[in-house]
Amino acid sequence: MACPCEVLVYGDDRAQALSLGTMAAQEAWRVEHKYSRYRDDSVVAWIHGHRGLKCALDVETASLIDFAHRCFELSDGLFDITSGILRRVWKFDGSDRVPEADAVAALLPSIGFDKLQWEPPLLLLPAGMELDFGGIGKEYAVDRAYELLAAQCNVPFLLNFGGDLRTNRPPPQGPWRIGIERPDAEMTAAMLLDLERGALATSGDSRRFLLKASVRYSHILDPRTGWPVVDAPRSVTVAGSSCTEAGLLATLAMLQGAGARAFLEEQGARHWILQ
Amino acid sequence: MQLKPGAAQLRRRLIAASCALLSTPPARSQENPDPGLVGRFLQAWQFESALAYYHEDGRIQAVEPVVSASHDYGDGGNVSLNFTFDALSGSSPNGALPSHAPQTFTAASAKSFASARRVYTTAPGNLPVDPNFSDGRAAFGADWTLPLTRLSRFTLGGKASIEDDFYSTTVNIAFAHDFNNKNTTVSFGADAEGDIIHPVGKTPVPLSDYAAFSREGDKSKTGAGALFGVTQVMTRNWLTQLNVSVDRFTGYLNDPYKIVTVLAAGGDTAGYEYENRPDSRTRKSAYLENRVGGAHVSADLSLRYMTDSWGIRSQTAQIRMRLWSPSRQHYIEPTTRWYHQSAADFFNPWLAAADAGSTRYISSDPRLATFHALTYGLKYGYDLGDRLHRSNSEFTVRVEYYRQTLEVDKPVPVALQGLDLYPGLKAVFVQFGFSY
Repeated sequence: MACPCEVLVYGDDRAQALSLGTMAAQEAWRVEHKYSRYRDDSVVAWIHGHRGLKCALDVETASLIDFAHRCFELSDGLFDITSGILRRVWKFDGSDRVPEADAVAALLPSIGFDKLQWEPPLLLLPAGMELDFGGIGKEYAVDRAYELLAAQCNVPFLLNFGGDLRTNRPPPQGPWRIGIERPDAEMTAAMLLDLERGALATSGDSRRFLLKASVRYSHILDPRTGWPVVDAPRSVTVAGSSCTEAGLLATLAMLQGAGARAFLEEQGARHWILQ
Repeated sequence: MQLKPGAAQLRRRLIAASCALLSTPPARSQENPDPGLVGRFLQAWQFESALAYYHEDGRIQAVEPVVSASHDYGDGGNVSLNFTFDALSGSSPNGALPSHAPQTFTAASAKSFASARRVYTTAPGNLPVDPNFSDGRAAFGADWTLPLTRLSRFTLGGKASIEDDFYSTTVNIAFAHDFNNKNTTVSFGADAEGDIIHPVGKTPVPLSDYAAFSREGDKSKTGAGALFGVTQVMTRNWLTQLNVSVDRFTGYLNDPYKIVTVLAAGGDTAGYEYENRPDSRTRKSAYLENRVGGAHVSADLSLRYMTDSWGIRSQTAQIRMRLWSPSRQHYIEPTTRWYHQSAADFFNPWLAAADAGSTRYISSDPRLATFHALTYGLKYGYDLGDRLHRSNSEFTVRVEYYRQTLEVDKPVPVALQGLDLYPGLKAVFVQFGFSY
């Protein structure tokens, strides 16, 4: 997952904590293995290897595509799992290498969920296009691991996969205390939140951005233009009943740029924004 | 960069899409068999069931199974249903006083009238009780809570209950709103009730002579009430709640099976009359509860004050502690409740024959007397953990002992001296509960 993942279990049963931790890790690995774009034996690699052909997807992958489709429609194209190819020109390494406008424009014809042929469970990925589950994979893994753990035990636990977290209930002493990292100072908590139950997901540009002529280009790219969103907050944290839901809202909020706060207020979602 | 119209709906749709995604089994768990329609229903609903046994010292016993089920829609909405069945049997005080002579009555309770007016005799010195008391009750209730906004919700509920001689329906509505970062909740509620009283053997004419057996048709009563409540989170471990309520009942408020001994001048029994109560009653009450919780101990202290238009003033104080085992698998919950009330204005353990003509309202029902009561209870709970593959299932046993002591300070006529006129009540309550 390219991030620290932890499982906090309340209680004094060491064996149980160990077994829950193992279970969460195995589920995280399973999801990563299946949907990673970096592995050549993942389902994503298999789909990429069958461009131009109708492929029958398994139930889980089909439901993820369905979900991505729904999010694409709901966000009017702001959330798009086909936008990953923009990474070919945008390398958010803290440098000043902002791509040429032509290079960005050349990629736009290969972006757009509506260019896929999706007749569940059959998917046709046109030539030149790519799928990327990076925008939902981590949150999805949290929710999957959560369900496994919740079915196994009823002691309070908290799953934290790189800042996307979910808990079943607070420890007896009170809610879990969650520190939100300040984007420009790693490992220092800028805010402390209390979480009783449910999920928190954070979208931010703490480590990934470009800086040129004192303009900061956040790694949040608008799939419709291929360019970073202007005036996006440094970090948006959203609470939700599931991590997938919270993560999507946080991402969509970032994509609103300066309108992130207004968007989340309109949605009635509990949120915390660092500018 | 605006989202399409109806953007406020986006989150709700996103939640629905997330739920659809997460309800799809991950590839690996497809090995698990489908739980089937019944299995899915059982997983989606939370059930509580209890079997209660109530035993009054030498009198009524009751067995009461209760089943309730609730389902959360995940958006703050909730539906709950409950079913209760009662079976009461045994003997019930008929309201007459003990006497040094044997007393003979005709059975006046529910089922016994169905066959005939059965006769029973109470031995000298004993409190007259109808030994043939038997009644059954079936009740059904439903509540539906609907989130209005992120901070407010509306509840609509109703219940109906049927007994051999009593039918009751109630509807209730409530509105709750959270303020102050959800640390304060204000709620308003209102309810209305309509009852039909259909005593077996018809309704006795109030204040009529017991021996004359004067009867009328079915009776009814209606009630309406309102409640205002505030719940406040004081600190992370302390919650306080204040409720005030008022309700008013009008119509037939008598107990159709209760009579009053009529005493002649010297204290000898001259006969019996049916009781009569005012046909309206207004109650006002205030309730304060404080809950404090720690890792392994929590406590709950509640106080209630009630006053009504019949002249009854009652006070209740209850303290309840819950002590968890270090693993939080077991808990015990001791409870103590103290209750005191003053008598209704028209309560009288007997009616002097001389006053019979001028008395408009009278009842010797001990529930309207001045009395105090103490309840001691102990509950044990065992957390079943994940044995049933759900997050909160527990088994509980509750035992309560109730003791009521009457405080009637009325000069006793010579003819009744040496008798235990006000024996009070002792009762034991045992409940087995299972929630899953």
